[in-house]
Amino acid sequence: MSGLRKLQQAFADAVFTGETTALAQTVRANGLTGPRRLQVYRNNMFVSLTEALRAVFPVVEKLVGNEFFAHAARQYIQTQPSTSGDLHDFGGSFAEFLAPFPGADQLAYLPDVARLEWAYHEVFHAADHEPLALESLAAIPAANHEQIKFALHPASRLLQSPYPILRIWEVNQNEFDASDEGKATIDLDAGGVTLLVLRRELDVEFRPLPPAEFEWLRHLATANSIGVATARAVEMDPDFDLDTVLMRHVTGSTLVRAYL
Amino acid sequence: MARLPSNAEPTPVSTGVGLRAEHYDDVLSRRPGVGWFEVHSENYFGAGGKPHHYLTQIRRDYPLSLHGVGLSLGAAEAPNKSHLNKLKGLIDRYQPFLVSEHLSWSSVNGRYLNDLLPLPYTEATLEHISGQIARVQDVLGRQILIENVSSYLEYETSTVPEWEYLTAVAERSGCGILLDVNNIYVNSRNHGFDPLTFLNAVPIAPVQEIHLAGFTVNRFDDGEILIDTHNQRVADDVWELYRRAIHRFRAVPTLIEWDTDVPPFDVLLDEARKADTIRSEKRVRVA
Repeated sequence: MSGLRKLQQAFADAVFTGETTALAQTVRANGLTGPRRLQVYRNNMFVSLTEALRAVFPVVEKLVGNEFFAHAARQYIQTQPSTSGDLHDFGGSFAEFLAPFPGADQLAYLPDVARLEWAYHEVFHAADHEPLALESLAAIPAANHEQIKFALHPASRLLQSPYPILRIWEVNQNEFDASDEGKATIDLDAGGVTLLVLRRELDVEFRPLPPAEFEWLRHLATANSIGVATARAVEMDPDFDLDTVLMRHVTGSTLVRAYL
Repeated sequence: MARLPSNAEPTPVSTGVGLRAEHYDDVLSRRPGVGWFEVHSENYFGAGGKPHHYLTQIRRDYPLSLHGVGLSLGAAEAPNKSHLNKLKGLIDRYQPFLVSEHLSWSSVNGRYLNDLLPLPYTEATLEHISGQIARVQDVLGRQILIENVSSYLEYETSTVPEWEYLTAVAERSGCGILLDVNNIYVNSRNHGFDPLTFLNAVPIAPVQEIHLAGFTVNRFDDGEILIDTHNQRVADDVWELYRRAIHRFRAVPTLIEWDTDVPPFDVLLDEARKADTIRSEKRVRVA
């Protein structure tokens, strides 16, 4: 199928670059010209992939405006093409793409907002999971408690930013009531956020966590034992209360499986 | 290729509707009298959450068809394994009465255009895509239907008309045919042929589903082109062509598709009723 592969390669190149003259020779003119016909496919591709990004990154679009978003999306589609037949997979590197992108680079918080929206997207579609069975925890001998490891809910992500990205996300929701003066203004120097993005059943929730609690979960998420995770958390915050935090994340389904 | 039965459900008689997330609540609260639903397979490739929560409930009450848009069967490369495995998992989970894909390609060397792109209609590509379809059917353990797509260009190298190509693909691969009547009409206008020539050339037995949708006309100073946008009602000319199709293919399950600018569910119901009405017409004389 080398002939077919060559044609498809040339077709894809023409659609991506807009250089349709050479390929147009292989297309029947029949009324409209070859370049005009190829232009339809070029347009379709950019529109459908831009729509896919728009669906995942509505707050980014609101922050930069429709026109700039379309411009950035176009560059992104060209430089980091889709690699899946499932459009839901497209956009995972959009945050990294935006960071140095001319025009967006002045909005230092923009990539982190994009990361938040991608986390929301992933968590929305991730697997369901039963809550942790408390008996499984009780069955582990006390002598081994320090060594227990936990699996986090498949529909959970940990995200931190030096910017108040949750506030930015909230005030840019369509249902946000901006009439309450002062609420809609954001102090970018207000400080960052350490966030748990979690879907326990159907709805995705954002939960800001104290930094030590975030650090504790981050260690558990990378398969460190609860002993190691707690030691790190206590270093950050001597008042870190393991019992309360553990109970909160077990009953709240952040932690869904315990193992040694 | 063994043709495995899809499941024990009887084939639905009345018209089906493409299920979109905007209508989940409407469908669950009203249980509308449509024959079945069809979803885009890829919209349920995620492992959990709302899409599956709703589809599971809706599947309890309605037959379901899975319609894929991303397998890229006409690509020079073999279909992506992970994509195919997700599709197989979805089939196991929902037991659809039909599974379909397109007579097109969408990727080359792992780069996806995420569109339904036309193939040159030659003996070499015919043999290639028929083999790809047959292998996919082997992996899935069932027959799939292949749909004719709307196209906006034809290749100089094509040697056979689209209808002969579609027919031959079904013969060689053992797949069924999902006949998109709107796409036949769109292509007849875009490439200048009589849509009845297409319709009457397709053999009756392999056709197991019909699609209907709305198109958009793009006008340029040097002509016009019809785009398969799925964003409006079925055109009058396409209803007329559907009447001819029903006369030829009889009681084939028919689907109303609407994918962008999705209207209230009642509009889809209204389109479905029109299709029901046409199917119930007594066999009037159609040339």
